[in-house]
Amino acid sequence: MVNEEEKSVIKPVIAILKSETVKKLGTQQENTWCPGCPNFVILDSVKQVVAKFIDEGKYKQEDFAITTDIGCHAKIFDYLNLSGIYCLHGRAIPTAIGMKLGNPNLKVLTFAGDGAAYSEGISHFIHAFKYNPDMTLVLHDNQSFSLTTGQPTPTSQQGFLSKSEPLGVFDKPINPLKLALASNATFIARVNARDIKHMNEIFAKAINHKGFSFVEVIQDCLIFNLDANHKDKMMYKIEDNTDLSLAEKLVGEFDYNSKEGKIPIGVIYQNEKIPSLEEKWPQLKSLMEKGVGWKGKDL
Amino acid sequence: MNINILIGGAAGQGINKVSDIVSNVLSKYGYYTFNYRDYPSLIRGGHNFNVLAISDIPIESHSLKMDFIVALDERTIETHKSELKKGGVLVTSEGFEDEGKNLNVALAGFLIKILGIPLKNLESEINSQFKESEDALISAKKGFDKAEKKFSLKKLNNKISILSGSEAVSIGARNSSLDVYIAYPMTPSTNVMNEMAKNQVENNLMVFQPENEIAGVSMALGSSFAGAKTMVGTSGGGFDLMGESLSMQGISGIPLTVYLASRPGPGTGVPTYTSQSDLDIALRAGHGEFPRIVIAPGNPIEAIEKTSEALLLSEKFRTLSIILSDKHLAESEFSSDEKLKKVERFSVVRDVPGEKIVKAASYEVDGTGNSTEDAVLTEKNADLRVEKYESLKEYIVKNMEMIKIHGNKDSKNLIIGWGSTSGAIKDAIKDLDAKFLQVMYMKPLSPQIKEEMENAEHIILVECNVTGQLGRLLREKTGIKIENRLLKYDGRPFCVDELKEHLKEML
Repeated sequence: MVNEEEKSVIKPVIAILKSETVKKLGTQQENTWCPGCPNFVILDSVKQVVAKFIDEGKYKQEDFAITTDIGCHAKIFDYLNLSGIYCLHGRAIPTAIGMKLGNPNLKVLTFAGDGAAYSEGISHFIHAFKYNPDMTLVLHDNQSFSLTTGQPTPTSQQGFLSKSEPLGVFDKPINPLKLALASNATFIARVNARDIKHMNEIFAKAINHKGFSFVEVIQDCLIFNLDANHKDKMMYKIEDNTDLSLAEKLVGEFDYNSKEGKIPIGVIYQNEKIPSLEEKWPQLKSLMEKGVGWKGKDL
Repeated sequence: MNINILIGGAAGQGINKVSDIVSNVLSKYGYYTFNYRDYPSLIRGGHNFNVLAISDIPIESHSLKMDFIVALDERTIETHKSELKKGGVLVTSEGFEDEGKNLNVALAGFLIKILGIPLKNLESEINSQFKESEDALISAKKGFDKAEKKFSLKKLNNKISILSGSEAVSIGARNSSLDVYIAYPMTPSTNVMNEMAKNQVENNLMVFQPENEIAGVSMALGSSFAGAKTMVGTSGGGFDLMGESLSMQGISGIPLTVYLASRPGPGTGVPTYTSQSDLDIALRAGHGEFPRIVIAPGNPIEAIEKTSEALLLSEKFRTLSIILSDKHLAESEFSSDEKLKKVERFSVVRDVPGEKIVKAASYEVDGTGNSTEDAVLTEKNADLRVEKYESLKEYIVKNMEMIKIHGNKDSKNLIIGWGSTSGAIKDAIKDLDAKFLQVMYMKPLSPQIKEEMENAEHIILVECNVTGQLGRLLREKTGIKIENRLLKYDGRPFCVDELKEHLKEML
């Protein structure tokens, strides 16, 4: 069933999908996500947002560089015609920060999953907020390691039964948004993978943010950890927020565990007063002023 | 001539200042010096000592037996008095009780007088080191006046400079205009990071300290991918953490240069001492099969040249180059009058993001740069990696100095060694009937090594590790097993006099 509001969203989406730039952002690679996977929507959203930046003349297609982790989400590497590195598991964030050290002018987008970023890569996740490089992290959270056939991740709910933990998950999940805020995050947002219009809006804001922007995408896995799905009814949209004490309250509303309560979506916290990595390091600042990476430093 | 001076005291008493002042005065006076640093893992207290060796001909080693012992504390006397040669002199703080923190400067002055070097040379060194301290000059003079001349060193015309291996690696990297150096602190690799960081803005490079070595090497791959000449530095445990990303380098072909300074393992081992036990991991770390280059310089001049070569080769062949050093090379201070070979300048010419759409992956990829699991492509990519190794090997054999032959070139007695052990071997064979083959490229290996081994009647392997890692490598590559092995693995480097005695017995 498609209601009236959703119909009005679908029309412009189709128009954007037909744009030449969106087409140029695609590849010929066979898509191997499961039919109906929310990753298709995330892919479309990224294409639309990047295409809009290109069409508006803000950036060239070549200015973008992505890093992806390992997992279902990471297959986006093959479906986007953008420069990038398909990294080792857990290493998408530091590799992306490295790209910014090598050329601070690149527009860097990192795609990581809840398994990769919060287990193997948790130290990188925390330190990224401290360094505050001007880049965007899109965190696909389905509360499950899915490409390895459904093991629990740090955000899986208690009691989740899986082949690797048949006794069920004993521990309470971590709250990555709380952790981000405690780590001096300068941009925290949350979106619903089912709402492409809102996702487009928030991704654009994240890319425009001067500093490390973290967008958590809540998405269902249609195969594993089905109990964690269908959280839509708990979600509500919030106004862009720059108030730290309100942010502290908002990040605590969803605990990744209970089926009750509220899940705020939108820009939960933004602070542009904290300098980015590129602004702090004189070497990078100078490359930014020249509009080059180290390769062009003598030009 | 060969004079060895042991300078000992508690950490914080400034024993490095003594060897610093004395070796600077001596090098400007035309003498060669070698300074060995021995210190435990603590910041204040304990017992540290340096051995400063002095000679009128080039030296790269120190001795077990001392001509002088300069003791800043009682413990130095207790620990080292048995190392004093017959007729050797013990210099203590007696008579310098009032010097306070300048005790080290006073004792340096004392030594300068003993060696018979004029006061004005000491004064100019003190003035250049302590620009605003009248006290230092007074203490130095007081030390000088209290001593009696024992030697009369004549001024020599050698143009000598003093460098540690760490300074040398940093110079080599800057000569090749390195852009980004990423390292997490770990002894004995940290001094390269400190050297690079010192004047980074003026030198137009960047030094970044990440949250751990895994992040560091991942960042290095990102930075190199983006077009920056990038290097990481680490030691044993940190290198282990980098292992997965070395493999990532192998499949993605993103140029990467690693500086690996080893110390005795396994585990935390003996962190502030030396060892050549990480050759195996330098050669093998990282899952899967992929090409790499491992280069082990033996002294700072070689370290400058080989660091530049490593960076050039990484970029040219989009491969992994490892510069393998250890605490003895990294932290000892060597003197040299050698001229540097001309550095081959190079630029990053490959396509980079920002200019083109470029893809790199940890998966096998097809022609578009996207991932593939195709059997034909999987096999083809593996073949391409083997071909890459063959072509870099051909280039290195043709263009690079992979080994050095020292000593009597016609001798049938062949000593084989590598890295920081080379200094003691070179000095030990000066009047022995022996030829020393110093291996500098550990991978690929020079084809000349097998010829040398076949032509020798008697081969001795000298290494600072317990299993003879170079020996095993040579056996794998040449089929020749070296039966005579001189292995030292107590965390201390070979002293020239002990090594010479052992070699004499074995020849």
